[in-house]
Amino acid sequence: MKKENRTKLKNRAIAMAQEPMQKKEASIIIEVIAFTLVTEIYGIESIFVKEVYTLTDFTPLPGVPSYIFGIINVRGQILPVIDLKKFFNLPEKGLGELNKVIILSNGQMEFGILADVVHGTQEIELEDIRGVPSTVTGIGEEYLKGVTKERLIVLNAKRLLSDKSIVVNEEVK
Amino acid sequence: MLKNMKIGLRLALSFSSILVFMIVIIFVSLNQIKVSRTLFDQIIKTNNIRLQLANNMINHTREVSIALRNILLINESKKTLEFKNKIDSIRNQYDKDFKELEGLILNDDTMSFVIIAKIRVSEDASRQLNNKVVDLVMAGKHEEAILLMNQQASPSVAAWIKDIDELITHNENRTVMRITEVEKAQTAASLFMFILGTIAILLAIVISVLMTLSITRPLTLSLKAADLIASGDLTVDLTSAEKRGDELGLLLLSFSKMVRNLCGSVKDINEGVSMLGSSASEILAATTQIASGSAETAAAISETTTTVEEVRQVTQLSSQKAKNLSDSVNQSAQVSQNGQKAVDAIVDGMNRISEQMDIIAQTVVRLSEQSQSIGGIIASVTDMADQSNLLAVNAAIEAAKAGEQGKGFAVVAREIKNLAEQSKQSTSQVRNILNDVQKATSAAVLATEQGNKAVEAGVKQSVQAGEAIRILTESSNEAVQAAIQIVASSQQQVIGMDQIGVAMQNINQAGTETEVSMVQSEKAAKSLNELGQKLKDLVERFKV
Repeated sequence: MKKENRTKLKNRAIAMAQEPMQKKEASIIIEVIAFTLVTEIYGIESIFVKEVYTLTDFTPLPGVPSYIFGIINVRGQILPVIDLKKFFNLPEKGLGELNKVIILSNGQMEFGILADVVHGTQEIELEDIRGVPSTVTGIGEEYLKGVTKERLIVLNAKRLLSDKSIVVNEEVK
Repeated sequence: MLKNMKIGLRLALSFSSILVFMIVIIFVSLNQIKVSRTLFDQIIKTNNIRLQLANNMINHTREVSIALRNILLINESKKTLEFKNKIDSIRNQYDKDFKELEGLILNDDTMSFVIIAKIRVSEDASRQLNNKVVDLVMAGKHEEAILLMNQQASPSVAAWIKDIDELITHNENRTVMRITEVEKAQTAASLFMFILGTIAILLAIVISVLMTLSITRPLTLSLKAADLIASGDLTVDLTSAEKRGDELGLLLLSFSKMVRNLCGSVKDINEGVSMLGSSASEILAATTQIASGSAETAAAISETTTTVEEVRQVTQLSSQKAKNLSDSVNQSAQVSQNGQKAVDAIVDGMNRISEQMDIIAQTVVRLSEQSQSIGGIIASVTDMADQSNLLAVNAAIEAAKAGEQGKGFAVVAREIKNLAEQSKQSTSQVRNILNDVQKATSAAVLATEQGNKAVEAGVKQSVQAGEAIRILTESSNEAVQAAIQIVASSQQQVIGMDQIGVAMQNINQAGTETEVSMVQSEKAAKSLNELGQKLKDLVERFKV
């Protein structure tokens, strides 16, 4: 291993080894899972995330709205997968990988959302989250918590999980 | 028409026409004389006799009257009978004359017949009265007879005589009429003869003038033409006279023919002379040119002679050069044979290079295939790195769920994630390198293919070069042969040049002779030209 990388890793280890308590005093910290959908980076609270799964095989369903991508089998459990782009009426531009599924759960409701790349966990101060800018159109404001300085769009997982439209659809099915 | 007649015929015609006129005149005058004579004859033989007879009749009547008076006067019977007989004889005489007179009267004279009838009536009356008187006398009635005589017979006799007088007067009138007729006829005849004579004279004059003119005019024309021809002018135009049919016309015609023939021959002579002149001058020019040309030729021949000498020397030089050339060509033949061998070696070497290139190409292809399989391995490593990344994320999630106890695990999960990212980066680097390697191998494949092609071209070219060198060898062998031939022929050339030198000297001599003869012919041409000029002058005297 090169000396540069070694020093980098050392610096990182030192940074990680420091006490996070000092920051906590200033504001409330939430942990999010960051992922990329086409071009934008989104974040979702990790407490509602059950697991990240690689999409290997799925079954498309007939007679459902277009945002229901299909159903997958995760270790014997059948879960629906929602395409957020269609759900939020985002424009279809570029080709994403769409081979990752983030499985959300709040104890009652459980389903997967499609993602291109999963970056990992990230800690965000609540104060840093700003209101929804006017440029982000199409997405219902009720599904968003806000946007950080780093242009990370934080989704409201709680609202998503308790959404009536998804539930109604499931009942119809 | 007159022009076409022969002169003799013309003369005969004119004289005969005049003759006809004269005959007519003579005939007419003779006839007239005859008519006059008949008329005069009539006057003399008929009219005069008639007059005489009438006078006789008057005389008889008077005699009868006298006899009757005598009877009356005498009054004697014997005498009376005598007188009576006398009266009867006189009366017979009278009747005879009367009858003769009647026979002489022409049928057309009706007036005479009327008068004669009148005479007869008065005659009958008078005779009866006279007879009565005589009867009275005989009867002795003398007184009564005288009375009858005086009262009736005498006036009757007077009337009778008066009637006969009337006949005489009538006859005289007729005579005068006849004479007037004769005069008239003679006047007409003389007028007619005068007119005819005048016409005849005029005709004679006209004919003589025309005859003279018709003869003299063409004669003058031919005279003039002859004068002109004598003076050498042949432009006389006699075509107008040629239409004549007489001897003069024929004369003019033959004149015209002569002039035409003369004209034609003069023209021919003229053309010939001018052609002679022009050809003589051309000959003169040509001979002059030839003379100058032969001088030039002589100069050229001498130049040529020197040139031939130079050429001969040059030929000797070239003979030597040809020998040298032959040697060097031999050398070059050897060199080209060596070149052939070298080229064969090159062809072999090129073939070996080609084989080596094939091997290289196969190796590169294998390399390419292996780099493909390396790509597959890299893909699976990337996949694994991805999965370990996911594992790290899941571990982090699990750690977050565990709360404070999971914090240490979260750190571990983050490290795993970093590791996975690093391995991902490394695989991407490896992938980049592999891409470079693949590009390089495909370039190598292309390069080896091009190299193969170049080697093939090299083989072809070396084969071609071998062929070229072989042809070169052949041609250098031919060149050797040619050089030998050149050497031989250049020696022959040297000999030939010597012969040419001798021939050139002969030509030189001949040229000098030609020059001399050309001067002579030039003189001849000059005299010919002068002759032509003289002839031309002679001919030009004729006007054509």
